[in-house]
Amino acid sequence: MSLLEVVDLDAGYGDLHVLDGIDIHVDDGGYVTVVGPNGAGKSTVMKSIVGIATCFGGSIEYQGEDITGLSPEEVAHEQIGYVPQSNNVFSTLSVEENLRLGAYVCEGVPETRKRDVYERFPALADRRDEDAGSLSGGQQQMLAMGCALMLDPDVLLLDEPSAGLAPDLVDEMFDRIDEINETGTTVLMVEQNAKEALRRCDRGYVLANGQNRYEDDGDALLDDEEVRREFLGG
Amino acid sequence: MGLLQEAIFGVVTGSYIAIAAIGFTLIYGIVNMINFAYGEYLTLGAFVGFFTASTLPGPLPVAVVVAMAGGGVVSIALARGFFTPINDTGPVPMLLTSIGLGIAIRNAIRLFGGRSARYIETETSTIRFNAVPDAAVGSIDLLGGFFVTSEHLIVVGSAVAVFLSVHLLLTRTEVGIAMRAMGDDEDLARVRGIDTQLIRDSVWLLAGVLAGLSGVLLAIQTNVSPTTGFSHILQILSAAILGGAGSPYGAIVGAYVIGLALAFSTAVLPSSMTSLSSAVAFAILIVVLLVRPSGIAGTEVRKA
Repeated sequence: MSLLEVVDLDAGYGDLHVLDGIDIHVDDGGYVTVVGPNGAGKSTVMKSIVGIATCFGGSIEYQGEDITGLSPEEVAHEQIGYVPQSNNVFSTLSVEENLRLGAYVCEGVPETRKRDVYERFPALADRRDEDAGSLSGGQQQMLAMGCALMLDPDVLLLDEPSAGLAPDLVDEMFDRIDEINETGTTVLMVEQNAKEALRRCDRGYVLANGQNRYEDDGDALLDDEEVRREFLGG
Repeated sequence: MGLLQEAIFGVVTGSYIAIAAIGFTLIYGIVNMINFAYGEYLTLGAFVGFFTASTLPGPLPVAVVVAMAGGGVVSIALARGFFTPINDTGPVPMLLTSIGLGIAIRNAIRLFGGRSARYIETETSTIRFNAVPDAAVGSIDLLGGFFVTSEHLIVVGSAVAVFLSVHLLLTRTEVGIAMRAMGDDEDLARVRGIDTQLIRDSVWLLAGVLAGLSGVLLAIQTNVSPTTGFSHILQILSAAILGGAGSPYGAIVGAYVIGLALAFSTAVLPSSMTSLSSAVAFAILIVVLLVRPSGIAGTEVRKA
């Protein structure tokens, strides 16, 4: 069943059109990856869904409901978990306060979810009263993901979760995402690290110049001669 | 008079500057504007307090509470009328608007309230400590006999109560944490579902209440005229910048630095030059900013 359906989307910022007729289909429980070169519009897909970018045409449906053109505040109430690529934690607020704000749209602070996040990311539990800005890059990324999980989201949107991480942390990050997906959360991920991302996901999209280029199962894209030559460096 | 007495005056001055500087710096950090009309909020609060005290027979705290409420209402109303509609135009148009609004309010107060200075009459008791050695160094007494009035205690006590309340608000309540989050990163705050307009309104209300309190304390401790707020805005601004603009804790420290500097400069400068005392506050501001451009607290300045 379709959870998130992006149809013929034109979107951008101000007068600038970045996306030109993008279609993306995410099944309930699926793990979908969007790859493509720099400037392909990968992040803009995410930002359109959560209401940061401007939608000029097309539609975005979530759980059968049209969410095209909603503001970020309104999308937050749909309990879509979104982890931006950068500036994804409040650096002057403590870890604990960041998690609390992760569930800002929920009634009360969901203590059990907070415990789940600390169990999933024990490094955060040890530093819960410290400013998020004092965490390492990897820990900040974990915290950002933890904040999104505080919503108990049906879908998690991850914008380049491996960006800026040390190589040994990248694998760990992808393992965590696998775990989250296996426990039933749908994942839509944009990644620069295309090979690894396609290997992990079950459905992949390759974007270029704001348009769909290829769409197939992750493994099939990895094996495709043209995709390899054009986008995966041979 | 010994320096100890001047220090007491400095702490009292620092206290009402601090109360106002917290409001000023929260507006700067969260609404992202320098509100040059903020001094007039003090004047309005002081006049509301004065007219309450002189028309209603109630005790002093009633006038204080009415002044705080008055400051809050004024602040929300002016924000709704003048600042919220141009919120997306950026800091410079908002600063210019606030300068114009300040001039208009100042003259409106003079038109309706008259030029004269007024003060709220209170029963003052004075506690004297005369048996303190002078500990003179040259012509300056380091200690010396001193006194504290009940008004001093009201001002300093109110300030301490404000510091604690603001701290609890910002660290323990949902709306306070959301305020800090918005000062940190407004885009991420929206992604989290924070209603940014609601938070801005809350900041306007809080800043107005603090300005009202600061103003009515001025009316109790000294006196107020239509230009009182304007003559304090530069001290409030200096305290906020000194502390690291946007940081309420820094603003408190900055306010006491300014308060003490003003008091000591009066003591040290020859009597013909006491009008230069506010220049001393700015000299300190310039030196601190040369050494630490981000101010004392330094980290909570909104990223450009």
